[in-house]
Amino acid sequence: MQELTWGWPIIIYLFLAGMGAGAYTVSASVLLRGGGGFGRKHFQLARYGALLAPIPIIIGTAFLILELGTFMYATEASMYFRWLNLFTTFEVLSPMSWGAWILGLGIIASVVYAYTFLKKEAAPGDEMSSLRRALAWVGVPLGIAIGVYTGVLLGAMPSRPFWNTSILPFLFLVSSLSTGAAGITILKAVFSSGDVEEKNAAMQTAKSAGERDLSDYLLNVSDLLLLGLEVLGIFLLILFAYMMYGDRVDAIAVIMPGGSLFSLFWWGVIVLGVLVPSVIELKYTVPTLLHGRAFIMPRNLELSLATFILLGGLMLRYVVVVAGQITGPVGI
Amino acid sequence: MASDSSKKTLSRRQFLKVGAAAATTAATLPATVASATTKQSIHYAMVIDTRRCIGCHACSVACKTEFEVPLGESRSWVEYVEKGIFPNVRRSFLPRLCNHCDEPDCVDVCPTGATYKIASNGIVDITKDICIGCGYCIQACPYGARFLNPETGTADKCNFCLHRVSEGLVPSCVNTCQGRARIFGDINDPDSEISRVLATNAVSVLRPEMGTKPNVFYIDADHTDERDAERYNTYVRIDTHRRQKRRV
Repeated sequence: MQELTWGWPIIIYLFLAGMGAGAYTVSASVLLRGGGGFGRKHFQLARYGALLAPIPIIIGTAFLILELGTFMYATEASMYFRWLNLFTTFEVLSPMSWGAWILGLGIIASVVYAYTFLKKEAAPGDEMSSLRRALAWVGVPLGIAIGVYTGVLLGAMPSRPFWNTSILPFLFLVSSLSTGAAGITILKAVFSSGDVEEKNAAMQTAKSAGERDLSDYLLNVSDLLLLGLEVLGIFLLILFAYMMYGDRVDAIAVIMPGGSLFSLFWWGVIVLGVLVPSVIELKYTVPTLLHGRAFIMPRNLELSLATFILLGGLMLRYVVVVAGQITGPVGI
Repeated sequence: MASDSSKKTLSRRQFLKVGAAAATTAATLPATVASATTKQSIHYAMVIDTRRCIGCHACSVACKTEFEVPLGESRSWVEYVEKGIFPNVRRSFLPRLCNHCDEPDCVDVCPTGATYKIASNGIVDITKDICIGCGYCIQACPYGARFLNPETGTADKCNFCLHRVSEGLVPSCVNTCQGRARIFGDINDPDSEISRVLATNAVSVLRPEMGTKPNVFYIDADHTDERDAERYNTYVRIDTHRRQKRRV
């Protein structure tokens, strides 16, 4: 087994930065798709996402910096600031250079975006409204860019056959959006506890679809779609590994039966992180989708669902980061 | 009519002009391409004649002392390749170092520009004051030639003994080699020893499929890997003589 040059700090960084970027993108798109909709429920969702987004991005980036060689083995004070060299240049061919700039912009934009939601009485059309919408327009592409970049970062190297595939950025993007949505779901479930009964009552008494609060339903349906895309991404990743030769086949073997990451990948990422949440979401969204019934999900179920998705996202990063480093080119 | 014919002449003249311009471009294009490739006046490379290698590790030791490489790390090392079942056996040696590739992935991925290819001689080097120690180049190198130096916190690797080479000396490993298995020189100079050796021997490079165009060439290298044992139905053992027990 090869040594892990990139360990837990990088795994946590990829997960947290992806989740924060996903939360920013989801929040911004919800806001732009009608912040005032569903009795301002949409705005409330956007607010949770906006307030959440910068925290994981900043914590994740801190992990990234702590893991740098010049930080771990610093012999003089100036070495703690060596990482600022990332911002004295722009290296077109280096995904990490792109990433540093995108991430820097993402942190600034998400912090300001969160600030526009900070006041408790923040509402659509208030004095922050135009700035908020402008940053939402920035946030959708920026959040997607961060999600994609985390995959490109790993995928750039022929020396790492497990990572060196074009589907990885897509997989990481989808996972970052679904973990971002899961983060929003958790905040919503925890902080909007007071009006659950009220909401349920309103749901049941609503006569037409127009009166119903569909914000939760839309969030869950979107999440279901993302989980479906994640399955597609993983399917294509494995399928194409077998359509390649040599090192690709050897690399994918670590997550297949007999491989050292087999259990964690299939039980952890696929079953716990994707299939279980998908089944739960299907059970609750299909009646609304097909029969127009009210969408009500118990709060505890909502919480555990989102937790599963978050754990799945973390385990996906773990499996990918480790698998890429314990496999390598075949032969010499 | 007159205006018509003048138009025609004009257009014909224009056509000729364009044609001439195109011809000139076509004629100068190969010249510019050629000058771009020969612009690098010196192109350092190394040939390792494994038939002359006795696996004594003098190169590894010389390198270690030359750079005071921290314990557990190596810029240059010698792998032993054992294969076969008695009495049909062979042991050969595969000295390893940075390949100073023509298209180095480590240089491409470096986010700060700390790792770069020296334009005048092709050596891939690291500017320690700029490197942040992110480890990206360590991941990107298909030859496992790089490591994170715990004393400097930055990436480190063989640099063909740049400090010696720039003074007209050969790298320390070449200097110390008992069997003269290592030949170092400028492959842009057709009269250099390395050019003559490259021209008159069957040579190979390691992992050419990585597309990096390595500049360390081997004569009679055994490319056998542990995975080949099953395929050849024989015994294969690779001794890396590094902290990393498996070949990277």
